[in-house]
Amino acid sequence: MSEREQRHRPTVWQLAREPVLVWAALLVLLAISAVLAHAPIAPFNAAVNLVIAGVMIGLLAVFLMNLRMASALVRLVAASGLFWLVFMVALTFTDYLSRP
Amino acid sequence: MSDVSAAVREPWPDLTVQRQGVGLGIWVFLASEVLFFGALITAYGIYRSIHPAAFLAAAKHTELVYGTINTVLLLTSSVTMTVALRAAEARLRRATIGCLAVTLVLGVGFLLCKGLEYRDDLREGFFPGAGFPLADPPTQLFWMLYWIMTGIHAIHLSAGILVVGVVAMLFWRRVLPVQDSTMEGIATYWHFVDTVWILLFPLLYLVGRI
Repeated sequence: MSEREQRHRPTVWQLAREPVLVWAALLVLLAISAVLAHAPIAPFNAAVNLVIAGVMIGLLAVFLMNLRMASALVRLVAASGLFWLVFMVALTFTDYLSRP
Repeated sequence: MSDVSAAVREPWPDLTVQRQGVGLGIWVFLASEVLFFGALITAYGIYRSIHPAAFLAAAKHTELVYGTINTVLLLTSSVTMTVALRAAEARLRRATIGCLAVTLVLGVGFLLCKGLEYRDDLREGFFPGAGFPLADPPTQLFWMLYWIMTGIHAIHLSAGILVVGVVAMLFWRRVLPVQDSTMEGIATYWHFVDTVWILLFPLLYLVGRI
């Protein structure tokens, strides 16, 4: 390894800075979620907790799964999973929720 | 042969393109996994929409403390996995192996905690079938889904633990250089298992708490 490469190598702490910040945000969201599950805001408890879970998954996907830096092709494939999921859920509930 | 050229395989021209190839492949696999878990969660949604009161009554009996500890363990393991991947890209061999080892310990910790929780669930009789402790029959549907969802999640996590263990050993023995594209694949898979749990947690543990 050249001296130049050695000099430009990041330390573990530099690499860990962003993931640790995301981790702190995820723990705060988890705590909010656990507290709100006990809050008397029915019938919105489930919706609020699912929205928080969605935000947590978004943070994880963008920062830790690195979709932020991923190629357009990878983002497209990641979005396609959700796209088909929306179809499945929407069509299934169109049936079940419209039954007499 | 340098470490970098040892990591590049046919048909890839260089390591960057090879990493992109692995990344794309694992995301295609994960898109199919989204549909697999999506079908289970849709089934949960259908039964919950048909039996809302029974689901609230049944979910009260899941172990919130174990569930929360496990969520913290998995979230932390995702962070150590990310640091392992970034360290691998920066060719920091010891840091990569160290972070993979911590990730592995956190994953095993999750399974141990889950095992204790299963033991408590079984002691209280929350397994669908004869002798189920709740009177309303649809409460068994919730618990059936609890066992299937958490069980399949645990199988996915076990597979992740196995692969992370093997890859860490290959790095340790210098069979694979750490900057190999393998890290890209296992890191993305590990995070996916974490995201599934993030969604299962409010569906199974945060319901019926008021």
